[in-house]
Amino acid sequence: MSETSLLELNDVHAYYGNIRALKGVSLSVARGEIVTLIGSNGAGKTTTLRTVLGTVRPLRGTVTFAGKRIDKVPTHRIARLGIAQSPEGRRIFAPMTVLENLELGAFARTDREAIPQDLERVLALFPRLRDRLGQKGGTLSGGEQQMLAMGRALMAHPEMLLLDEPSMGLSPILVETIFEIIRDINRLGTTILLVEQNARMALRVAHRGYVIQTGRIVLQDAALALLRSDVVRKAYLGEK
Amino acid sequence: MTDSRLRPFPAALLVTGLMVYPFLDHWLQAQTVHAVTDAMIYVLLALGLNIVVGYAGLLDLGYAAFFAIGAYTMGLLNSPVLGSPLYGHAWSFWVVIWISALVSAALGVVIGAPTLRVRGDYLAIITLAFGEIIPVAIRNLGDITIDVGGWRPVERLNLTGGENGVNPVGRPYLPGVHFDTQFIPWYFLILIIGALSLWAMNRMRDSRLGRAWMAIREDETAADCTGVNPVKTKLLAFGLGASFAGFAGSFYAAKLSAITPGAFEFNVSIMLLCMVVLGGMGSLKGVILGGMLITLFDRILLAQLTFLVRWIGRALGIVTFASVDLTLWRWFFFGLGLVIVMLVRPEGLAGRRVRPPAVDVDEREEALALVAAPPRPQAEAIPSWLREPGASRTSLTTTPVLDVRGLTRRFGGLVAVSEVDLVIPPAGIVGLIGPNGAGKTTFFNLVTGLLRPDHGEIRLNGESLVGLKPHQIVGRGVARTFQSIRLFQNMTVLDNVRVGEHCRLHASVAGAVFRPPAVVAEEARARGRARDLLGFVGLGDKEGELAKNLAYGDQRRLEIARALATEPRLLLLDEPTAGMNPRETDALTELIGLLRRELGLAVLLIEHHMEVVMGISDRITVLDYGTRIAEGTPTEIRQNAKVIEAYLGKGYEQELVTG
Repeated sequence: MSETSLLELNDVHAYYGNIRALKGVSLSVARGEIVTLIGSNGAGKTTTLRTVLGTVRPLRGTVTFAGKRIDKVPTHRIARLGIAQSPEGRRIFAPMTVLENLELGAFARTDREAIPQDLERVLALFPRLRDRLGQKGGTLSGGEQQMLAMGRALMAHPEMLLLDEPSMGLSPILVETIFEIIRDINRLGTTILLVEQNARMALRVAHRGYVIQTGRIVLQDAALALLRSDVVRKAYLGEK
Repeated sequence: MTDSRLRPFPAALLVTGLMVYPFLDHWLQAQTVHAVTDAMIYVLLALGLNIVVGYAGLLDLGYAAFFAIGAYTMGLLNSPVLGSPLYGHAWSFWVVIWISALVSAALGVVIGAPTLRVRGDYLAIITLAFGEIIPVAIRNLGDITIDVGGWRPVERLNLTGGENGVNPVGRPYLPGVHFDTQFIPWYFLILIIGALSLWAMNRMRDSRLGRAWMAIREDETAADCTGVNPVKTKLLAFGLGASFAGFAGSFYAAKLSAITPGAFEFNVSIMLLCMVVLGGMGSLKGVILGGMLITLFDRILLAQLTFLVRWIGRALGIVTFASVDLTLWRWFFFGLGLVIVMLVRPEGLAGRRVRPPAVDVDEREEALALVAAPPRPQAEAIPSWLREPGASRTSLTTTPVLDVRGLTRRFGGLVAVSEVDLVIPPAGIVGLIGPNGAGKTTFFNLVTGLLRPDHGEIRLNGESLVGLKPHQIVGRGVARTFQSIRLFQNMTVLDNVRVGEHCRLHASVAGAVFRPPAVVAEEARARGRARDLLGFVGLGDKEGELAKNLAYGDQRRLEIARALATEPRLLLLDEPTAGMNPRETDALTELIGLLRRELGLAVLLIEHHMEVVMGISDRITVLDYGTRIAEGTPTEIRQNAKVIEAYLGKGYEQELVTG
């Protein structure tokens, strides 16, 4: 594939639990892109993200990040290579404060002196978090927890950010905000792989998109082309 | 369910083996019956502990205390020499064994009652303390002086025999059977007690009560909100678990003919817990296997191994080996074995394998997925039994199904819900929307009894719900689903729905064990109803799967089926379409409409998918910072400036237009 691709999955097969969840998934994300992966429940979206982070190991196929095979690298080392994830279900540390949660995101970094600057950058992206720095993570509302999870991922100053269903359970106004922030994060130079149930919003912010169906990529195209395609309109945008 | 029923041939073989074994042992002069009988006592104890830990999920570190209570009840009531007030009244073993079980069960309930509000680590510490207290109390009650005011003091009263224990303890009497000189009668006696206990436990597990235990273990809050009384269920687990320790203890006392407090220390509790964990928590076969392995290893194998190692040592001239005593190393081997099993097979020897054999994603589904819509819910598929009470519910009364007035709840300084009014008319669907953190879920928790309001009134068909416990509110006819799905993960799909029926079933403990015709009929009806409901929500072919193995959309539908099984008059749905794709969302919206149309069910709906809320609700209430900022029809709400600002966003209108 393209020489500039930052992340590349090539013919990845993987089991998730007892289900053969991925049956030869190939996709690539170029440096600076937002790429979205859409599909229904159980299609293999989350499993794909997990094979990138190494919490699910591919049976066959390769995962390459910045030109380096990572499908056998331990998860914590993958994180240090510059991939951060904001997990589905907003797994924040509930008994810790917002500030502590954010600081933990920078745990693995060696460039200590740059951290305050990144904290400032994250708080500029999520002004709501600034008001709540001393509050415990668990007392935040759903939308704020989502912001915290994303902010924490950004604190690792990753080259690449994996987002798993960032709009889930958010009010319409917050969904808009979150997608605006995703666009801002990308403008600041972070490459993004976005897994979403909300296909319409995802395709609006993404450059390119892949459609995954029962473990296989069935469509791939520029995001706008997918938005207009009949199959996507019927199956994922709920149009009759 | 079926795993507990052995096929006829191996079962017959097992029974024959158990019957022949002691005579074979006698003939071979192997002299293992004594050890095997002791092993069976510990197996019985482990089975009792399994009810508490394996079924109900309550970590009990002091279970040996109930063993002690059973043994001392036998010792006190059936000893001819004890210097207690009961002196000279050695009661028959056959009577005392039942008294022991009752005393243990009663103490189980007494100990359980104050500790039930705590769980996990805290409960473990309390039971640990209790396990320590009992042997100490028994030691000290051997020599006490009671001196009350002007009364003549009772001096040096010996209640328990103190450190010396009770010796002798009377043996059972049966004409022609020599309990005093032979081991074989003891073997058969514990075999019968054990078999009967196993039979009773097996039946309890496959009953209304067993399902309630497992539901509590899986998710106590969800169980409470599904109509299971957690306090009663946990007390029954403690009490029944303890009663089996009572049987085991009294048998132990009579067999040994002497008891000392040292036999009931902490390490016994731990060993019993290890048997349960080693065998596989919740599995009767596993616990028996674990119990047998540990005791027989200790009692037989270790001694034999010692001889073997000494013989090797002498043959090779290694002094260390020749004089070794491996029985001194028992805790070492024991710990090592446990570590290995937990590493290699964490679910226990006979536990359910975490991973069933691999299956492929359904290829048919794959072919259809891009074109076909998910199955539409059918009005004809609604179970008729759910319909019948529904007809009377939709009577022409105008009393609102739910009438909430001035509801307020504070958390510290934060007012989560403030003076909220909300009315749902019969067969009405009301949407509850608002920004994240506006208090919607808190409102649900207040109506379902998980939280108490600071003030305000909640009435269901005119009756106040304030102050009732969640399971009582379910009984009155309010069912709910959760924002983050809360199923009983390690229970089957069918059992999840049957837990929903819990509050409509009546079988008692005795009913569960003896299964009179009424209970058999009730269980058959419950199973039939659960299957009807699963068919209705489109899960008819998945009843045997564990809930955790279902796909996300299926889990959402199962949660609704479980809620419907409680036969509600009002259904509270907390973001039912979160994480669903548009077609699944459509199907679910249709299902909700169908429930209202066909059953006259009232629905309160929290939802962020605007096309769902706007499309289905009669009226919508909007919360922001805990207060109601708007109330009206979907059209009114859509145009309300406050709602657009706080919740919908300016882009929303545009979204609707461009679609």
